[in-house]
Amino acid sequence: MTLYTVDTLLSLVLLSVLFAFGSSRVPALIKVMAFQGIVVSIIPFFITPDMETGAVIFTIATLVIRGVLIPLSIHVAIRKVAIQRDVAPIVGYHASLFFGLGLIVAAAVISRYLNIPSISDSQLLFPAAISLLVTGMFLLMARRNAIAMVIGYIMLENGIYLMGTTFSLRARHIVEFGILLDVLAGVMIMAVILQNIKQTFDDVDTSLLRTLKE
Amino acid sequence: MVEIVFITPFVTGLLAFVLPKAFSRQLLVLTGAVHLLLSVLLWQTSPRAWFAEYFAVTPEGLLSLLVISLLFFLIAIYTTGYLAAHRLKSENVFTGFMLLFLSTMTMVTLSDHIMVLWIAIEATTLASAPLIYTHRSGASLEATWKYVLICSVGIAMALVGSLFLTLSMELGGVTAAMSFSALAPVADQLNPAWLKAGFIFIVVGYGTKMGLAPMHTWLPDAHSEAPSPASALLSGVLLNCAYLGIFKTNKIMVAAGLGDFSGTILIVFGLLSIIAAATYILKQTEYKRMLAYSSIENMGIIALGTGIGGLGVYGAVICMIHHSLIKSSLFLSSGNILMGYNDRLIANTGQMAKRMPKTFVAFFAGFAGISGFPPFGIFIGELFIIMAAFKSGHYLAAIVFIFSLCVIFAGFAGQVMKICFDNPADTGKTPAPDFRETPRLVWPQYILLLTSLILCFFIPDALYQTIVDAVHAIGGGLQ
Repeated sequence: MTLYTVDTLLSLVLLSVLFAFGSSRVPALIKVMAFQGIVVSIIPFFITPDMETGAVIFTIATLVIRGVLIPLSIHVAIRKVAIQRDVAPIVGYHASLFFGLGLIVAAAVISRYLNIPSISDSQLLFPAAISLLVTGMFLLMARRNAIAMVIGYIMLENGIYLMGTTFSLRARHIVEFGILLDVLAGVMIMAVILQNIKQTFDDVDTSLLRTLKE
Repeated sequence: MVEIVFITPFVTGLLAFVLPKAFSRQLLVLTGAVHLLLSVLLWQTSPRAWFAEYFAVTPEGLLSLLVISLLFFLIAIYTTGYLAAHRLKSENVFTGFMLLFLSTMTMVTLSDHIMVLWIAIEATTLASAPLIYTHRSGASLEATWKYVLICSVGIAMALVGSLFLTLSMELGGVTAAMSFSALAPVADQLNPAWLKAGFIFIVVGYGTKMGLAPMHTWLPDAHSEAPSPASALLSGVLLNCAYLGIFKTNKIMVAAGLGDFSGTILIVFGLLSIIAAATYILKQTEYKRMLAYSSIENMGIIALGTGIGGLGVYGAVICMIHHSLIKSSLFLSSGNILMGYNDRLIANTGQMAKRMPKTFVAFFAGFAGISGFPPFGIFIGELFIIMAAFKSGHYLAAIVFIFSLCVIFAGFAGQVMKICFDNPADTGKTPAPDFRETPRLVWPQYILLLTSLILCFFIPDALYQTIVDAVHAIGGGLQ
């Protein structure tokens, strides 16, 4: 029964992947990212019968960071400093969507060939993990908007997290360190904000910027 | 006791943020001296770590640590001179992050656990990003963004690689601790397919940080935008740290009998990097970018040597040591050029031999060393790699390597001649007139080059033994 829940949730993740490929606005991408972050971090609760306290804490921390904190901070950032909302695609939306569909099919096919004993129960775990990972990479490469790139990076992290939680218990301990990657994502968000503050102030008065900096 | 070596700079780094400027400059040099002392002590006694599961003193780690320590001490002395001559807006942040950077890099060299190594390498990114942003210009922000973004993707790939390693342990029924030293003896039980996949991801991941093509695109920007002492650290030691990650994983691969597979991958990435450097170095207009591309070349050479194996590994380690010594001296000299001419473009420099004779000597000697001229060690390293390549039948690799070396030398030489002897282009800009070549701004370079020169002719027995031990672990040697 629980496994059906997992697969249902993951099918939603796969749909959200397609949505990420097709969306042209940053706010929509933020919502997709938050949704994926939440789903990915609650999956362990369904597939592990009894979790240790430490693991529970880590899972909740991931949930809070990826599902709430990062999406919220990006949301605030694009409202406070005028960051461009358009994702500025290098690859068009139709081509992106087509790529996304192909990706999901390919991921499903590949995961049939890899026989990893621990995930043979769920059909969608591995395809969803690969899809998230590649979607993240795709957004990083095929979007010019810096915030869209950061969102792509966080999707990539989610993919890694999903992959790790499904492999084995030991692997789960490894991906818990993935929380540290969020620090890097935080630095990136800061860089984007700085960039935009700089652009805004450069036109007006640079001395103003200097006073604000210290 | 092992942990003290990286805790010391961490603590002093935090102190440097709050102490007055003059004091934190002294602290930089003092920490460098203490760190050097501790590293030598570590080398002589090789004690056990408090957390032996996570940290260990390994020969390859020791080599990198000694290089880092010596380099940092000399760079710290240069930095005091640099900061006296060149005002930075936020000096405390700069010195503080320099020390934190030292701490994280030391942690990389001493870590034995796969995940501790990963964390340490990620921490180097965090500690060095503010250094690249020191000048706070639009260009430096862009360089920092590129650096953080590309290296973050790299570090994420390395995490996937580590994940696959655990899977290969799981499928092979290995219950050993996840440390390099514990895995090497049981490597043949690991599941080979996932081990191979893990190695590829780790090479791509840490290779990004090491500057292997085609993941090198952040490197020229970051190295040219950072203040010169930071560039010297980035190029001289950070790249080695990333290489250490690949080296250690390669150790497991060799122990698992997959040395040919890992070797081929390293050769391909190595050659790609050398070719990329040869292509871009010819059309460089900025001298710091030119030096950065030369670092990509040398990292390629090191990867190539490691991939070829045997004598090549020995050559790679020699190249690594001497590249660190010479390239950091070149970056320090480039700091002097930047202060003297106040311009990054090669076209706007010139007649350095007349205007800055002391820097000229260091820069020109460094150029000779990095291009592989005999009195410096890179010559020997490259010679060993070429010999090993011919011996093991990698003829194509050897030919591509030699050809690229010639191209790089030609490109490099042309630019260096322009800087040193040409008449500067008339830009109407007045060069910074108050720049003086104080001893602190030239002696560190001389000492670095001298060390390289001495190590070329005479290697102390203890050091030689450490190199041989390091090389031996991945099936290399002096045969």
